Amino acid sequence: MTWARYFKYALTNISTNRMIHAISMGTITISMVLFGAFVLFFVNVSNLVMEWGHSSSMSVYLKDGIKQDAKQRIESALINLPGAEFKGFISKEQALSDLMETLGPQSGILTGLTRNPLPSSFEIAFRDVQRLQLDPKKIKEELEKLEGVDEVQYSEQWLERFEAVIYVIKLVGLIVGSLLSVAVLFIITNTIKLAIYSRRDEIEIYKLVGATDWFVKAPFLIEGALQGIIGAVLALLILFGMYWLFSLKTIRVSGLPLMDIVFLPNGHIMFILCLGLVLGLMGSFVALGRFFRFFD
Amino acid sequence: MIQLFRVSKTFGANAALKDISLRIRKGEFVFVTGASGAGKTTLLRLMFGAEQPTEGQILINGINLNRISRVNLDLLRRGIGFVFQDFKLLNKKSVFDNVALASVVCGERFAITKKKTHQILRAVGLANKEQAFPLQLSGGEQQRVAIARAMINNPLILLADEPTGNLDPDVTRDIMLLFRTINLRGTTVLIATHSRELLENTDQRIVVLSKGMLQ
Repeated sequence: MTWARYFKYALTNISTNRMIHAISMGTITISMVLFGAFVLFFVNVSNLVMEWGHSSSMSVYLKDGIKQDAKQRIESALINLPGAEFKGFISKEQALSDLMETLGPQSGILTGLTRNPLPSSFEIAFRDVQRLQLDPKKIKEELEKLEGVDEVQYSEQWLERFEAVIYVIKLVGLIVGSLLSVAVLFIITNTIKLAIYSRRDEIEIYKLVGATDWFVKAPFLIEGALQGIIGAVLALLILFGMYWLFSLKTIRVSGLPLMDIVFLPNGHIMFILCLGLVLGLMGSFVALGRFFRFFD
Repeated sequence: MIQLFRVSKTFGANAALKDISLRIRKGEFVFVTGASGAGKTTLLRLMFGAEQPTEGQILINGINLNRISRVNLDLLRRGIGFVFQDFKLLNKKSVFDNVALASVVCGERFAITKKKTHQILRAVGLANKEQAFPLQLSGGEQQRVAIARAMINNPLILLADEPTGNLDPDVTRDIMLLFRTINLRGTTVLIATHSRELLENTDQRIVVLSKGMLQ
């Protein structure tokens, strides 16, 4: 008996037992959608942190009514700051205009303002904070001592907080991902077991006419693998459909763009396909093992 | 061909067979009879390797079933045809596929399987029903399909458990004629039955079981 023949048998079995296979495949697809959605969420959160971690920017907010010479002293101090790239000056008017542009259709909330509450600022950026061993906290403290500086904010502060969050997310991700994998395996195993159980008469007859265990098992294993991989493909299509349908290109929080949502990278897509294949195969293998013990 | 030495089989506290010693020669036609619960089916299942004896030894063509590996048991079964009272056919497969199955599991090439299946279905009078499904056939026709499946590999032994239990007298006669023909070709045939009609006017050997013991 060749593999081609086992394959043909598996396809015939799928065609003959369409309803059972449709139910199994549907269950696998739903399980894989849940798992895939979790991976998609995790990938995007990780991307967000990576993006923020690559560069560090700093805003030096100036006090209202700052004198011209104080402003110039601050500017020259920033230009001469080691490792820093001077990005420019943002006036109060420019800051308000930028905010209105960012808010877009929701900019109407700013029209009632009697005065511009936004401060003017200098923007600087640091490249490779870690390589240059810069200490943004120390720079911030030094800059805040300068006359006319109201406050200094840098993205690292966000990042520090976010790194703690991502650590928790990673930990939760590992636990939830593992539990989800076990749950998916459990669901797939039991679904396939029920499908096999519904065909126990067929297996009994195969054994009665002298079929070896391998002859009976091989088509079931191929069926499981096919179910797993088709379920994974369907799950990916559903995930992509959802991603596309809701046009989740940009997530906005109160109108402000937070991050660009990306779909799963190719490596992750391959991982989900392989996971579907392995889970389908393993589900069949475990179910057959249990079933054959029952059958004996 | 078939030898049983002091074979006993118990299920929990119930003894299905007690101290059975029996020898069936090659080419013999044997009826095993007895009341319901006498142990006929258990005896056939032991000979087929579907059950292990609690005590004693069973030899099929010189092979001890107590010492046979699982794979070798599968291979041995290919040389033993088994016909059941409830036919045990795959209702979702055609008559052709049901019969061909026993050849396919032996790893036979499809061209040979196809030829053998045509031949055996012609022999049991079902050449025109190849593409029908079991549930479209009468009880007698279904039993013929089961016999064809049991015979496709030219087995050395044919075991039949109440093969006419669900059939009317005319069909029973036809089926028995088929078993005779198979036996005349050299196959050892063992039929378990509780039907008195089947045993009337027969010159074949009759083994009688009563409460698990040979009479």
